[in-house]
Amino acid sequence: MPMLQLDNVFASYIPGVEILRGVSLRVEQGEIVCLVGPNGAGKSTVLRAVSGFLKPSKGSITFNGKSIGGMPPQKILTEGITHVPQGHSVFPKMTIHENLLMGAFTVMDQKVIEQRLEKVYSLFSWLKIRSKEKAGNLSGGQQKIVEIGRALMLEPPLMILDEPSLGLAPKTMSELFENIRELNRNGLTILMVEQNAREGLASAHRGYVLELGKDKFEGTAKELLDSPEMAKLYLGGSTDEDSYRRRRGRWA
Amino acid sequence: MSLPSAHLFIQTLILGILVGGVYALMASGLTLIFGVMKVINVAHGAFLILGAYLTYLLFQWFKLDPIISIAITMPLFFLFGWLLQKYVFSRIESPEQTSVLVTFALALILEGLLGAIFQTTARSVTPSYSTATIILATYRIPVTRLAGFVTALVVLLILYYVLERTRLGRAVRATIQDPRAAQLVGVKISMVSAFTFALGVSTAAAGGSLLSMIYTFNPASQGDWVAKTLAIIVLGGMGSLPGALIASLILGVMEQLTAIIVTLYWSPIVFYVFLFLTLIVRPQGLMGEVIREKG
Repeated sequence: MPMLQLDNVFASYIPGVEILRGVSLRVEQGEIVCLVGPNGAGKSTVLRAVSGFLKPSKGSITFNGKSIGGMPPQKILTEGITHVPQGHSVFPKMTIHENLLMGAFTVMDQKVIEQRLEKVYSLFSWLKIRSKEKAGNLSGGQQKIVEIGRALMLEPPLMILDEPSLGLAPKTMSELFENIRELNRNGLTILMVEQNAREGLASAHRGYVLELGKDKFEGTAKELLDSPEMAKLYLGGSTDEDSYRRRRGRWA
Repeated sequence: MSLPSAHLFIQTLILGILVGGVYALMASGLTLIFGVMKVINVAHGAFLILGAYLTYLLFQWFKLDPIISIAITMPLFFLFGWLLQKYVFSRIESPEQTSVLVTFALALILEGLLGAIFQTTARSVTPSYSTATIILATYRIPVTRLAGFVTALVVLLILYYVLERTRLGRAVRATIQDPRAAQLVGVKISMVSAFTFALGVSTAAAGGSLLSMIYTFNPASQGDWVAKTLAIIVLGGMGSLPGALIASLILGVMEQLTAIIVTLYWSPIVFYVFLFLTLIVRPQGLMGEVIREKG
């Protein structure tokens, strides 16, 4: 049984204007699954439907065999799915320590909170060193780690990452993906959306290509990366030489 | 117009700070509610006056000291605020736009009800020490002002402790800083809103109790007080608690200084000119944040 399964899911923000038009996908325990596709394909919308911020109008979403479609976000959170959204979502005027504590807001047992805090600090040691600093003063990549650390405070079986690399410098980005792979090796299952499809797929086990609110292709990350059609349509065009020629063609 | 002597100047400064502390308590609830809910609670002045009347009644019936009566009025108002938010205000759609009208209506209703019960006679609570002064190193300090200041400080410190050190307080601050992220970690915005509103209204109860022994009041005074507290939180930066504290002290000191240099009559004018000048330089207020849309 897959950990997460979406079956023919429809969803819309405005009644009648469907963004998801029958998405089906699955995430197996221990996988990193990456969703790619052009702007407006509904990648982020899939994530929102999974974490409960958008109610699917049709179709089913099951998590470890339990139907979670249409549950409120707080409920889904306690089921074990945490969502790290696009852009920045740290609490800027709180310290790193307080940000992490907020991650365990729904946990009442003080001992459990302390244990998890130590675990997150051992994963990212610089967080402990700088724990009293305000999160808003950190760089974009560091804030992302705080957000991921905060999400880890629930020890979720499944983490959802919406464009984690958005706005990061290339070096920071590859460090972030290394961190994500490391978390995965430690047992965390991850479903993510990446606008940087090449980088995202390179870190993933499997991927789905979304187009116009439907899953168009599915395959292992390698299959998707190697497919010439995919390269042309969805991986940001083509080889460097091609794009150089195209640019010259446009301006010459 | 005449410049005061150094002694008079310091005396005035002391009075200004004492008054400012009480203002800070009165304005704290207003700025807190705005910070979390983006709601401008125009009924805040009416809550203050309601608190003052409640204190007045407790004093008339049971000879209860106005400061002691805070122990009764605060929990009562907390409950009142919670119910009001949970069952009335939460039903309002797009509160950012309509809350001013709704809370203004509530202010008028409260003013009308209080007027029907107490008429327009100016009242004040006069405990035994109401005219007493203590002399501290040649400076005269009215006991009610000092007691009001200390009480305000204690209540503000408790408020600060709740916000900074408790789980619920952290949730309130998280919601002020990023409501979407707060939801992501499992904070129920509706619960935080009810808690914040209740907390804000309960500080109005404490503020009202102090008001009742320092000033005279009648039901129509609510208009003056909502204007004053609104001006404070605009100067301090809407939603900022430290900002409200600083602005309150500025207002308190400025009022007292104007009163001795010119006349009391000029106090509000000087403060409002200062407010406008500040807003020209810092439109977000002293400690306010520039509001930007989040993508």
